[in-house]
Amino acid sequence: MSAAEFADRTLMHPRIVVCVGCGGVGKTTIAAALGVEAARRGRRALVLTIDPARRLADALGLRSLGNEPQPIPRHVLARLGVPGDGGLAAMMLDMKRTFDDLVARFAESPEVRDRILSNAIYQHASDALAGSVEYSAMEKVYELYEGRNFDLIVVDTPPAQHALDFLEAPQRLLEFLDSRLVQMLIHPAFAAGRFGLRLFQRSTHRILQIVERVSGFGFLEDISEFLLAFEGMAGGFRERAHRVRSLLVGPEAAFVRVAGTGAESQRQAVDFLDRLEAFDVPLSGVLINRVRRWPEGGAPPESLTGGELRESDIAALATALGASEAPDFPAEAAARAAVAAATGYAALVQRDLRSTLALRTRARDRGRYWGQVPEFAGDIHDLAGLAHIADAIFHEGEPSLGEHAGP
Amino acid sequence: MAAEPLGSLLERRLVIVTGKGGTGKTTVAAALAVAAARAGRRVLVAETGRDEQLPRLLAPGSPPVGYAGREILPGVTAMRIDPFNALGEYLGLQLGVRSVVDFVLRNRGFRQLMSAAPGWRDLITLGKIWHVEQMTNGDGGPLYHLIIVDAPATGHGVTFLDVPHVVVSAVRTGPLRRNAERVEQMVVDTKRTLLLPVALAEELPTRETAELVERLRADVGITIDRAVVNGVFPAPFPEALSDLDERLAKLPDDAPRGELPRPSTLAACARYLRARFELNRSYVAEIGRLTGLPVVCLPYLTTGIQGPAEIAVLADALVEPPRAVTA
Repeated sequence: MSAAEFADRTLMHPRIVVCVGCGGVGKTTIAAALGVEAARRGRRALVLTIDPARRLADALGLRSLGNEPQPIPRHVLARLGVPGDGGLAAMMLDMKRTFDDLVARFAESPEVRDRILSNAIYQHASDALAGSVEYSAMEKVYELYEGRNFDLIVVDTPPAQHALDFLEAPQRLLEFLDSRLVQMLIHPAFAAGRFGLRLFQRSTHRILQIVERVSGFGFLEDISEFLLAFEGMAGGFRERAHRVRSLLVGPEAAFVRVAGTGAESQRQAVDFLDRLEAFDVPLSGVLINRVRRWPEGGAPPESLTGGELRESDIAALATALGASEAPDFPAEAAARAAVAAATGYAALVQRDLRSTLALRTRARDRGRYWGQVPEFAGDIHDLAGLAHIADAIFHEGEPSLGEHAGP
Repeated sequence: MAAEPLGSLLERRLVIVTGKGGTGKTTVAAALAVAAARAGRRVLVAETGRDEQLPRLLAPGSPPVGYAGREILPGVTAMRIDPFNALGEYLGLQLGVRSVVDFVLRNRGFRQLMSAAPGWRDLITLGKIWHVEQMTNGDGGPLYHLIIVDAPATGHGVTFLDVPHVVVSAVRTGPLRRNAERVEQMVVDTKRTLLLPVALAEELPTRETAELVERLRADVGITIDRAVVNGVFPAPFPEALSDLDERLAKLPDDAPRGELPRPSTLAACARYLRARFELNRSYVAEIGRLTGLPVVCLPYLTTGIQGPAEIAVLADALVEPPRAVTA
């Protein structure tokens, strides 16, 4: 697949593109760069981020956490080459508030809503109830999708220890709310037999007794009240979650797998790609971020990666370096330092070639597009930097596997 | 090599290594275990992630250590705390009857409840650590002098260490509350427990580390006496040649240099290393300034972290005295 096809599949056809990957690989930056490129291609794009670096947030006009899309001014976009029909907005997801809004929307009555929002466990745990962060993010995505103010929504997924949590967690949350044990906690009267114990298996009742004995009196009561919060909401939740899921595996979505060069092992990286495919999401490609590349392209010369350095070459470089300097300039030391730096950098390039080989090979074998984003020397902290990244992704052609990248 | 700067770490019973995903927590935990064992301590190093990393780092080729744990190096025992294993052990201690425990753990509804329920993983993991801390050897001394915990990656919401406090405030009475109280006492006991934050000298990890330290101080009250900054690029050139990349860039590309790469390539390599060094240096200072903590820098290793050789290098660097980098 060419970079042009990757761009079509990622930016032009879908309405939602989801960036997935482990924490610390630069998902947010890649998501923002995809948004910039979509705008340059004439789409009205929204970048939905979770936790951007401060300077990137500034660049995107996200100084205030608003939970609403913030448009980037037209004159700023014009400087990036965004045509009149393109647009770019960004927003930072306030997860707690999104979840609170959700409670407010699905609660049966204002009394129920207030009881939920003021429940001690809800206040402590609404952001810790497994899946609620991911659920909130999905909920917001769906709301924005329905709003139709944007052609393309680029989603930066929440940081998670386990990168597929974004997809799995909402389902787990629903299963949890549906589970017999939770139903029983919500309706303690059933358990007490008022409406007939037969509704529930006897073993479930026994489990609850054991949990109560181990955890202490009162704990289940608190949990029960907390879960009651969700009772009236579960129907609305469920329907939403199913719609979000069909959207994400359907033709209007694309997934981009963002990987790093070091944070995860090769095995983990390949394993992640396999699991993503098993999920049946429309994966449009793999981007490996922050790859150190040899300035002349390809692999570094062998003389720097294990071969012999010739003293006469270093002396020649010293002569060249000393030519325009004062007589006391330490030209030989400078030449040696320059060669040491080149050798050091060459080792980093080699390392990245090796550490990404398994993922690149797997992506290629599966017919997936894969691209590399070079590491830039400083932080990426403005829209011009994001545009550079977009150029590197979409305008350099598909890179070769690297002939010298043997394991 | 001065053992003294490591002193405050070695005097504790428990060091909790924490930080964002990707900062190298497990590597630092492994290096600290090696450094402590060199100083003659019996060490337990416990990881909490899904995939075991410690055997690869400390003794490549050795089988998984699992929940039971195993002495993986002389003086260093490694284990992985799996919450469901810890829950089984806890229920066993509480209920006494193995068949009842199995009945509970096998129940599908119970597993569903536990896979969605908040906080218990953190609490049970800390409970297991408390339990190990209480264990003694034949002589009545502690089974382990030092327990190093590679904590779960910090994310949003209630973190690993908040949970005991939340339970103590939300649960009125009973064994759960008693356990949470004991764990909370251990966590905030400055004589027993130290938190070791691990950061990278880049923008986002710097800010996250500052926020983490501030929140842990305010909400948890755990003692923090230094920050570890991992993967710091060393100065690429001697002091007098700090602008070497610029000098190289001025050379014509046809300058005689034998088989060496052309000057613009040499300049690009030098520029990268200098930029990373300067970026790291400024964020190391920023981490010190924002947290008010002395900083221990661990070097970026070109080889990556492959195994014991690199861990040994980092163990050396860990015992360097922490530097105050505040102006």
